Amino acid sequence: MNPINWHSCFFLLAAAVACAAALGVVASKNVVRMAVFLLHALGAVAGLFFLAGADFVGAMQLMIYVGGTLVLIAFGVMLTARRPFLSMDTKLAQWIAGTLVGGCLLAVLLRSALSVDDWAGPVSAAPRAQAEDLATAAPLGMGMLGVRVDRLDEPEAARREGMSGYLLPFEIISVHLLVVLIGAAYLARSTRPGEARLRENVEDKINAG
Amino acid sequence: MDLSTTLPILLGLAWLLPLASFALVVLFGPWMGRRGVGAGYLATGAIAAAFVLSFVALLGWLGQHGLASGEHGAHADPIPPVAGEWYALGTFGALTITIGYYIDSLTLVMFMMVTLVATCIHVYSFGYMHEELGVVTDPLVTRANGRPLKRRGRFHRFYQYFSLFCFSMLGLVLAGNVAMVFVFWELVGICSYLLIGFYIERQSASNAANKAFIVNRVGDFGMLIGMMVLWSTLGTFSFSGIFEQVRPAASGHALVVPDGMVRAAAADEVERIVLANPNPAIAERNIAAQVPAWREAGHGRWLLIVAGLGIFCGCVGKSAQFPLHVWLPDAMEGPTPVSALIHAATMVAAGVYLVGRFYPVFTPEVLLVIACVGAITLFMAATIAITATDIKRVLAYSTVSQLGYMMLGLGVGGWVAGLFHLITHAFFKSLLFLGSGSVIHACGTNEMPRMGGLRRKMPWTAGTMLVGALAISGAGIPLLIGLSGYHSKDAILAQVFAFRKDNPGQGDLLFWIAAMGAAITAFYMFRLWYMTFAGEPRDAHAAAHAHESPRSMVAPLVVLAALAVVGGWNVPWTGLGVRPLVDQARPLGTEVGMTAPAAAIPAESASHEPAIHRIVSWIAFFAALGGFLVATGFYGLRQLDPEKVRRVLAPVHWFLKNKWFFDELYRWVFVRPTLAAARVVAALDRIVLDGLAHGAAGLVRLVSRLDDLIDRLIVDRLVNAVGEWTYATGLRLRAVQSGNLRQYVMWIAVGTVGLFVLVSLFWNYAAAGN
Amino acid sequence: MSLFTQPIGLTHYLVVGAILFAAGVVCMVTKRNAIGVLMGIELVLNGANLNFVAFANPALRADPGRAVAWMDGHMIALFVIVLAAAEAAVALAIVLSFYHNHASVDVDEADELKG
Repeated sequence: MNPINWHSCFFLLAAAVACAAALGVVASKNVVRMAVFLLHALGAVAGLFFLAGADFVGAMQLMIYVGGTLVLIAFGVMLTARRPFLSMDTKLAQWIAGTLVGGCLLAVLLRSALSVDDWAGPVSAAPRAQAEDLATAAPLGMGMLGVRVDRLDEPEAARREGMSGYLLPFEIISVHLLVVLIGAAYLARSTRPGEARLRENVEDKINAG
Repeated sequence: MDLSTTLPILLGLAWLLPLASFALVVLFGPWMGRRGVGAGYLATGAIAAAFVLSFVALLGWLGQHGLASGEHGAHADPIPPVAGEWYALGTFGALTITIGYYIDSLTLVMFMMVTLVATCIHVYSFGYMHEELGVVTDPLVTRANGRPLKRRGRFHRFYQYFSLFCFSMLGLVLAGNVAMVFVFWELVGICSYLLIGFYIERQSASNAANKAFIVNRVGDFGMLIGMMVLWSTLGTFSFSGIFEQVRPAASGHALVVPDGMVRAAAADEVERIVLANPNPAIAERNIAAQVPAWREAGHGRWLLIVAGLGIFCGCVGKSAQFPLHVWLPDAMEGPTPVSALIHAATMVAAGVYLVGRFYPVFTPEVLLVIACVGAITLFMAATIAITATDIKRVLAYSTVSQLGYMMLGLGVGGWVAGLFHLITHAFFKSLLFLGSGSVIHACGTNEMPRMGGLRRKMPWTAGTMLVGALAISGAGIPLLIGLSGYHSKDAILAQVFAFRKDNPGQGDLLFWIAAMGAAITAFYMFRLWYMTFAGEPRDAHAAAHAHESPRSMVAPLVVLAALAVVGGWNVPWTGLGVRPLVDQARPLGTEVGMTAPAAAIPAESASHEPAIHRIVSWIAFFAALGGFLVATGFYGLRQLDPEKVRRVLAPVHWFLKNKWFFDELYRWVFVRPTLAAARVVAALDRIVLDGLAHGAAGLVRLVSRLDDLIDRLIVDRLVNAVGEWTYATGLRLRAVQSGNLRQYVMWIAVGTVGLFVLVSLFWNYAAAGN
Repeated sequence: MSLFTQPIGLTHYLVVGAILFAAGVVCMVTKRNAIGVLMGIELVLNGANLNFVAFANPALRADPGRAVAWMDGHMIALFVIVLAAAEAAVALAIVLSFYHNHASVDVDEADELKG
């Protein structure tokens, strides 16, 4: 009887939470509940990141997703969560079709995930990653500045520094984000021509509902 | 004062002033003053300034070279002309085209004459062309609706052409080379064309303008041949260069066939020598050694004759000599000042001037041709003038006749006599034309039978016309003094008489023609005067309408009348006059006579012998007196009835009335065949070429119709079918675009799964290298 | 229960990622609410991200030498997170705009681009 591998236990816990929450998102009809399930799923994924040795990514997952995106979604939910839209029924046929397609997709993905032996896991239960292995924030920051500290042994200077760094993608994404946020701000402007008429429309629908 | 620098400047300025005036009037004419009257002032000012400049130039010349250089053969040192170039236009191989000048006393005298007469006529035109300042009603042009034509006045246009003409005429006189002469020769021609056709709406005027232009082209063709001969054999266009070769100083300025012509004519011999001697220098020396022998053998003489005849050909056209005289009478369609300036005083005299200028080149044979042409012209034109009733046509034929006199004088060796007559004729003929213009202006008609008795209404015009008639008739006291025409005509007659002495037979004929011409001249001139001014009015309407012309028209008449009287005189005690001045310009070597098998041209000094002079004076006097008396008998005293004579001599009258049938002759010989040929060509064009073109067009239409069918039945249907199929497919595929977001997502998932299934079923791992 | 005693392998992560992914897709397909669709997208992205991170860890393989450089996986996961945030912002802006104009967040009503 092998000793219990706690790493595996925590993994299974987080994976179970993530999967259950994801299914909860799918299954629930109320958008507010969906948001809560999603919160759990994302948090569990962050835990999985930690378990996979990606501490910085996991931190980012928590900060940006759980702290940022989800707040944004919650904000959207609150803005639109009027009675007729709170839950919208989907036809059963669509449910069946969607589940069928999703199941097929899942089957395909699982088949490919299980098909490679190398991916099955380490042969022995070697001691897991050391403390320094988990310190990924500094190398990632250097990588964004263009220096791959994980490749300092690389004989080629070009591969060692600069060429394979992430300075350029980082810059591109920064500019992209700026544009996106400006666009989002423009789209979400509250005062627009014809808005009064639309608001009346909304009132009518609410009253009718 | 150095003449060689000041003369070109003064005369060049006098030459260019009218050009400046022309340019200004072209650009701003209609806006100059009220209805363009300022254009007249500008043009008159320019030509008057040119006159002043010419006068200054003449004074400078006289100050340098003194006065007479001995009229009667006692020639002092010859005065070299002031010749040079202002500007080289371009060099084409050996040919250099330049703007140059050739100034001697003849140039100066011509400048004085042209500018003076032109100034008088410019002033005169203010009165005569006055109508052109307003709206002109032309009674001679009927519009389609039967009313007379009404048009805007063209006062400025008239002066614009006048300025251009003055520039061209002065340039022609000033020109230093033949090419330049030719350019200005054509320019005066175009001015003449424009001014004859001034009343362009009149069919007769535009016809006359065309006729003048085309007939002149015939003469100019000959002139071009002459120019080509001169240039191709002598290698130069400049007067100085030509004269140096034709009359080299080595031969004492006697006429010799120049080396260039000898070589050109003896081309075969030259070729033989060149082929025999490979060394060009030796060949050249041998040829040079042979040239005198070839010249003795007569080589090249024909080229000299051709050159002379060619140049004379141009002069025949321009000076309206037989057989190209037909244009001048028709040219009277232009306004009368134009007739006076261009077709009496200056342009038509340019031919005579050019003959005088080219005199050193002419061989005795050419001179004989010139004399004969002149004699024929003077007699023929004088006879036609007897029967003409249009007052301007009488004067036009008189002009032709007088030009014939000049040519005759030049042809028989009277270089000074011919050119002297040119100057005096310019004065009295422009006077006569202006007088006739005054009459026409007053009566509104050209026809002499509708005039008569005008002397009381128009005393100034009548008086000045009488002076002109006397001058042209050569009135004077024999051997003592006379009007200008007396001096110049006597000089010509005396020269012809001297020629007669050397050439019995042909000389007799020429002399008696000239003498008869003098009598006829007097007759028709006084016929004109009597019919116009004497007796009682024949047309009450015209007479009632008549009045003396305004001062601007009378003043030039008086000035010209004075010149017509004194033009032939020398200033007392100084010997200064037109004749000695012209004599100063006598080309080197022409003071002695020339002899050839065809004719012996006497020296001009021969005519100054007292014996000849006395006889000729009396003959001329009696001839003119006879003509005058006959005219008086017929038309002045009316003792004789012209009708009776007309009936008796009906065929002669018919012959003369129809102007010797020259127009009809040319119509049948040249115009009709040309028109017929043109019609044939036109018919060919219409039938053959048009048929071909139409056939081609029809073929193209047929092909295009076929093409259209193919296009519509095959290409269009094919294209439409493709289009319809695409459209139908699009319609069917349209359903896929449901717009349902969730459906799209589902299809993406289905596609992913499908792709995976396909890959896992059919992907060949071995082939992928894995 | 070998699951509790054996070390975790790459496959386990991949299975979890697959479940998240499939759940996201089904969510996108079945939710009429635009916000729900958005949540499905987030799930899909997270499933994918989990794969990136898992592949970046050599310790999850039987043969660690075959692993790729860990930083690449992490970096891409980071970018995906950031882009997902931006996408969420834009998508919400679109949803709000749509809501302003149609008084609805039902994606089935957004069929103006129907063929």
